[in-house]
Amino acid sequence: MAEPIIEVRGVKKIYRVGVETIHALRGVDLTIAAGEMVAIMGASGSGKSTLMNTLGCLDRPTEGTYHLGGREVSNLTPAELAQVRNQEIGFVFQSFELLPRLTALENVELPLLYARGKGWGWAKRRRELAKEALDRVGLSQRMDHRPNQLSGGQKQRVAIARAILARPRILMADEPTGNLDTVTTDEILALFGRLHDEGQTVIMVTHENDVAAHCRRVVRLRDGLVLSDLPAGDDPAVGPLVRERKVAA
Amino acid sequence: MLTPLFYFESVMLALRQIWANKLRSILTALGIIVGVASTTAVIAALTGLKTKVLAEFETFGAARIYVWPSRPEGVPRNLFPWEKIRLRKEEAAAIAEQCTSLKGITPISETTLSVQSDGENLDGVSVTGIWPAWHATENRQVIMGRPFSQADIDNARQVCLVNDLAVRDLQLPTDPVGEHLIIGGRRFLIVGVVETITERMTGFNTISAELFIPHSLMDKFMDRDYFMRFVALANSPAEAEDAQADITRVLRKVRGLGSTDLETFRVQPIDQFIDQFKSVASGITAVAGGIVAISLLVGGIGIMNIMLVSVSERTREIGLRKAVGATPTAILLQFLLEAVTLCLAGGLIGVLIGQGFALAVSSIPGARLENSSVPAWAVALAFVFSAAVGVIFGMFPAIKASRLDPIEALRHE
Repeated sequence: MAEPIIEVRGVKKIYRVGVETIHALRGVDLTIAAGEMVAIMGASGSGKSTLMNTLGCLDRPTEGTYHLGGREVSNLTPAELAQVRNQEIGFVFQSFELLPRLTALENVELPLLYARGKGWGWAKRRRELAKEALDRVGLSQRMDHRPNQLSGGQKQRVAIARAILARPRILMADEPTGNLDTVTTDEILALFGRLHDEGQTVIMVTHENDVAAHCRRVVRLRDGLVLSDLPAGDDPAVGPLVRERKVAA
Repeated sequence: MLTPLFYFESVMLALRQIWANKLRSILTALGIIVGVASTTAVIAALTGLKTKVLAEFETFGAARIYVWPSRPEGVPRNLFPWEKIRLRKEEAAAIAEQCTSLKGITPISETTLSVQSDGENLDGVSVTGIWPAWHATENRQVIMGRPFSQADIDNARQVCLVNDLAVRDLQLPTDPVGEHLIIGGRRFLIVGVVETITERMTGFNTISAELFIPHSLMDKFMDRDYFMRFVALANSPAEAEDAQADITRVLRKVRGLGSTDLETFRVQPIDQFIDQFKSVASGITAVAGGIVAISLLVGGIGIMNIMLVSVSERTREIGLRKAVGATPTAILLQFLLEAVTLCLAGGLIGVLIGQGFALAVSSIPGARLENSSVPAWAVALAFVFSAAVGVIFGMFPAIKASRLDPIEALRHE
């Protein structure tokens, strides 16, 4: 097995909402190796979003340890976490989160705006990297368009280009096809598949079996605990769909 | 991350943000625009006035000294009756004789009399009694004919000087020298024409017909104990203070005042008028400064308000920026720079409008503000204050933005 890129041990997350205490994660253990493509599934309230935020370094666990690429990140300051996100993690969101006033290219460039300690030459280099990233998602002809001039699928491609721009260790996608029609969904999932084939580690949060069927491994959560962690083909709900896809191919 | 490139790009981002909300930005910056514009205009006008006035004082050489009767303050009036404190020609003569620091001195008394020429009969014409030194102290020369001589004064000759307005109003020939006028029932020979000076801030402007007669003849037209003032001219501006002391000493001696007696007159060199003017001018500048402070405060509150709105509107954007790796400091700086940029843009517009006002003011005919211009220090100060307002009032919204939780911010609708 390849080196573990994510090692989560006994992670708990407890929120206080007024007087109520919510145990979003109750002790999750999870190891993900470099180059894996993992779906995290679960009903709403199962804790999958919290796990996603924790893995994405947007949030710190209340308890437990999280090693990202061998580095303990569960006790970093907000500024340190921001740098980890900047360098190690690419996010793709359900609603794209493109800035409406920026062109596709400028949206893609955004993470590199916050890259550390770069001189004047960086602006030009950054632009080249953004063009490369747009090229990788097949959108180099649209780089001067603004988000409102792009279709849903194109927007998500821009968002993916933005996420892979800095060559992060992990590409995190939170319901990446939730706002797309079936044809576009297939295109976007194929794109994720291609990135995975190129060696990109992909973690995808979804509640749709169809989407999970594109992944190689399915982790199911319930009530803040890991319910099952199986290869996609062995998951009772996703497995048949995986076999169906193989037949179709 | 916080390289010059980052600051530069943050400013560009801020400019884009301001440009995207043009109307809102202008309305927000209005307080600062108005404050800076009005203050710059006031300072410009004041600077123009100052230049003008000081230039005029320059032409007088700052050597003029005024003397007038003055009752000491805080003492019973009856101890100092008018006949005791009024100035007399003899005193002017004593000063002229004994003060070596003076170029000349003249008593001045004014009245209005009816005047007849061959073709015209005018009432209420200004008639001034003077000595020959008057031309030097007032810096008004004879442009035709001759000035008064000491003999005219000593012998109380019935001769007079006129100005060009008197020539016009009394329908005298263009060269009136040698003509006669009936002034207050007495026949006077016109011996000269005195230049008219209208463009002058200090002293008395010539706006109507004027006649000048030897001061010794004023006795014939005036009541007993009539009012006169003295105007003297020091040898040089540097000697003005010596001359002031000289005049004071001679007057005290003539009036028999002991060293403890209160002065019954005042002697003031023009320097002190300059000082007075300067202190008035700096008073006005201070008031203008107060106005700018208030309008910048109001403007600053407007900035804070709009930045809070902006933070709230762009919560998702902030969330995204944080998700892709913006540190709290980076977000803080971006919003702070946006506030500062907005304020500086407002300051710039304000300075430009102020320049426009200054130009407009300087071209008002007769206002004598043609030297009005915005001094560089005022422009610099306007920008410094604008930037300070941006930092002070932009800080709270920027801190608010920097502290947003990325997860919460991305969920924000």
